[in-house]
Amino acid sequence: MSKLDVKLTRRTALKVGALTAAAVAVGVPVGSLKKSTVVKAAGTESGEKKQLGFLYDQSKCIGCNACAAACKKTNNWEEGIEWRKVYSKNTDNGKVFLSMSCNHCAEPACASVCPVKAYTKREKDGIVMHRSEICVGCAYCLYACPYHAPDFNKAASGAVTKCSFCVEIQDQGGKPACVSACPVDALNYGDVNELRNRSGAVAPEVNGLPPASITNPSLVIIPKE
Amino acid sequence: MHLHWGWLIAIYLFLGGLGAGAYLTSYAADRGWLGNSPALRRAGYFMSGPIVAIGTLLLVFDLGQGLRKPWLLVRLVVNVKSSVMTWGVWILAFFIVVSLLIALLIWMKREVPAILTHVGAVLALATCAYTGLLLAVVEAFPLWNNYLLPVLFVVSALSTGLSITVLISNIIDKGLATDEVKTTKLHVYLVVLEVILIGVIFGMAAMGAKGVVAAESVARILTGEFAIWFWSCLIVLGLLVPFFVSVYALNKLGSGHSGHALSAATGSGASVAVGEADSLLKVMLLSDALVVLGGFVLRYVVVFAALPIWNGTLM
Repeated sequence: MSKLDVKLTRRTALKVGALTAAAVAVGVPVGSLKKSTVVKAAGTESGEKKQLGFLYDQSKCIGCNACAAACKKTNNWEEGIEWRKVYSKNTDNGKVFLSMSCNHCAEPACASVCPVKAYTKREKDGIVMHRSEICVGCAYCLYACPYHAPDFNKAASGAVTKCSFCVEIQDQGGKPACVSACPVDALNYGDVNELRNRSGAVAPEVNGLPPASITNPSLVIIPKE
Repeated sequence: MHLHWGWLIAIYLFLGGLGAGAYLTSYAADRGWLGNSPALRRAGYFMSGPIVAIGTLLLVFDLGQGLRKPWLLVRLVVNVKSSVMTWGVWILAFFIVVSLLIALLIWMKREVPAILTHVGAVLALATCAYTGLLLAVVEAFPLWNNYLLPVLFVVSALSTGLSITVLISNIIDKGLATDEVKTTKLHVYLVVLEVILIGVIFGMAAMGAKGVVAAESVARILTGEFAIWFWSCLIVLGLLVPFFVSVYALNKLGSGHSGHALSAATGSGASVAVGEADSLLKVMLLSDALVVLGGFVLRYVVVFAALPIWNGTLM
């Protein structure tokens, strides 16, 4: 390397440096921009807007799977797709369960990455709606959602589907099918700010679930002691 | 839990960078920054459009609706506010058009307006950065969620683009070698920069700065199921071998004339013997091919080794 032409070396180094700086300039502002919007949204989170969410009482759940079965029946899941799933795990205190679907997040990552705007957040109750009929099946949302709520079977319809919070039933005054089906009142729904005030209610960060800060999910859990 | 991105996404990210890097190589050569090989000034312009277009087409066919309701794809352009994929669709569409237009003008022996090549260069840089940004914004995949990743992909794109352009230029213009000293020096800088960036990004992940899942993901690359690809194809064949070949070549070339050292040597037999120059050139071209291979393996390990922040099981 000692034989390298010093002048040329410096020039080339400058060029490489300039290109890197340009690349950083493209990358970094986007990163900081994203963070600042997250902070802003978190600040308004406790505010006026109504947000429906689920309440799941882990201490009451018996793992009967009635919620998922009712969801499947009501919403005609496609082959190989699950809108709601009951997870289970054997621990020292016996078996624990977790029934989870789409969490209708306050900051839905699915909606922000979707290139075709198939996701919308309903103004009046914060339900995250997905229009499968315009979905192109890029699956970006499957990667963006920390809860694996959007599901996709390329061989079937080739469009993403996910929990709709039984929006049609709710609009006619009914309850979501999963909530209606629960025999032990472990699964409930309502205004998430009220649900968060229930005694024992915590953010869904139990049993290895991801940090709620990513999407601000509208799910409240009463953990099993 | 089953995710869906397969081989095509890795190929797409790789080809996006390769094509854009090839464009930037010819752009740099056109400005006289890489010597004055006529082939180097055109090969990248000719290659870039088709390479990026092929990558894009592959991805289109991979979409759930690509072969069912392709007209839905028109809406890929609508989420300008927040979808990096939408940004990519715009960037790639404009880049493909501009680079194909430049290639057409060159082919028709018309003058290419300088402004068009400048616009193309900005779009090419944006294309390279986009391929990394697409992954970097995904918070649910902690290994990807690092804003140095687009920087690494840009450097890798420049490196693979330079290699493929030098390689193709030498095939087109046999014997009439490019300005090896300049391109080889650039190679060395890019490889060093890439090694540093890989070290920082994977090091951050390995040391837990990006959380447990990123550490687990990077362990799959450094010691797990992707280690064989990472160490052999990327680190050794894709970075170290090209680095040492380039440094060795610079020592050889540096003792001759600056500029067209190899062709000068071949012509006059001055400082490097003709046969030796010929075999040195072959080794350098082989190392260019290895750089391209390494660039693909980089995309492959980053895409496939990354684990989701929650794997769908309770703890």
